[in-house]
Amino acid sequence: MAEFRLPANSRIRTGVTHEAPPGAREVRKLRIYRFDPSSGQNPRLDTFELDVADCGPMVLDALIRIKASVDSSLTFRRSCREGICGSCAMNIDGVNRLACTTSLHDLGREIRIYPLPHMPVVKDLVADLTQFYAQYASVKPWLQAQTPPPPDSERLQSKEEQERIDRPAACILCACCSTACPSYWWNSDRYLGPAALLAAYRWIIDSRDEASGERLDALEDPFKLYRCHTIMNCTDVCPKDLNPAKAIAEIKKMLVQRQS
Amino acid sequence: MAERPTSPHLSVYRMYRYTLLTSVLNRATGLVLALGLILMVYWLMALAAGPAAYARAAALLGLGVFKLVWLALLAVFSYHLCAGVRHLVWDTGRGLERAQSRASAYLVLIASAVVFVALAAWLLGRGQAS
Repeated sequence: MAEFRLPANSRIRTGVTHEAPPGAREVRKLRIYRFDPSSGQNPRLDTFELDVADCGPMVLDALIRIKASVDSSLTFRRSCREGICGSCAMNIDGVNRLACTTSLHDLGREIRIYPLPHMPVVKDLVADLTQFYAQYASVKPWLQAQTPPPPDSERLQSKEEQERIDRPAACILCACCSTACPSYWWNSDRYLGPAALLAAYRWIIDSRDEASGERLDALEDPFKLYRCHTIMNCTDVCPKDLNPAKAIAEIKKMLVQRQS
Repeated sequence: MAERPTSPHLSVYRMYRYTLLTSVLNRATGLVLALGLILMVYWLMALAAGPAAYARAAALLGLGVFKLVWLALLAVFSYHLCAGVRHLVWDTGRGLERAQSRASAYLVLIASAVVFVALAAWLLGRGQAS
């Protein structure tokens, strides 16, 4: 159900301010969501004044800089620093994006950083993605076929067949889309969300997969699929320029078409 | 261990983004139209209740305040109509690319303004004629 207010244990307190070092040339204020599970206290919003002249160009560089020289307890996920692992997805200035591909220069003097919206927070900017991954697994994101592959070769596809799944298969599961979706905020217990549905679509239209019918059966549900109200936040925020909203629309179309 | 807090959502997400704005507007206008239906039902019931009741209702609904309410409902109707057409197009699988949906968001705003002005001019014109 739609619960617009944050629960009592989630309301944000004002936090501490770490002032810029003397002699800083280009100071930006980073307001960062902090939550320490061992403190027993509510989350807080800390302010870090950072000299970005003395730091790499991306938001992730700023976070790493803060962790290295201001507050080593600042916690966030990161790995590849080039937008392919999807670890550093977070809400930056009100929009979900990857910290590693978001340039500090495209943002203002004050930058607000929160974990992915409406998720259980493990610590600071680390959201608990357990359910998100379980939903991904629930669409069976692997090839299902009864027919054995040819004895002397792989299951071949035409160039066009491959091109149909090129974009949907490029999903990095960063969760930017699902956690940008208000329908997912209010119904994440039953609505699969754009990321899992994009994965489902990727396998439904795969020319080698033979379980399209079962896959569509599994999605024909008022909540799993039809909580999508085409708000378009998913496609708007996808850092890989993929289109979950279109994938969902295509699944809905397939469900109608197979009735006739 | 204490229960994990929920990360902020509505309070931090950028609401003036065209995606959220058009969605919220569509729902809000739908809600207002449903409320407006109460007035319409009152008018229809008065119509069914005979000349005296109708005269009373017509006098009440003809007040300046209600003229403004009708105009507001007309504006709300115009937006809801155009946004509904946008959703219909989306349901055919078209217009879902990022640039297209952004363009159609503005198109709906412009189209609904045009529909509103046209409908209002037509209704006000009829009011003058009678």
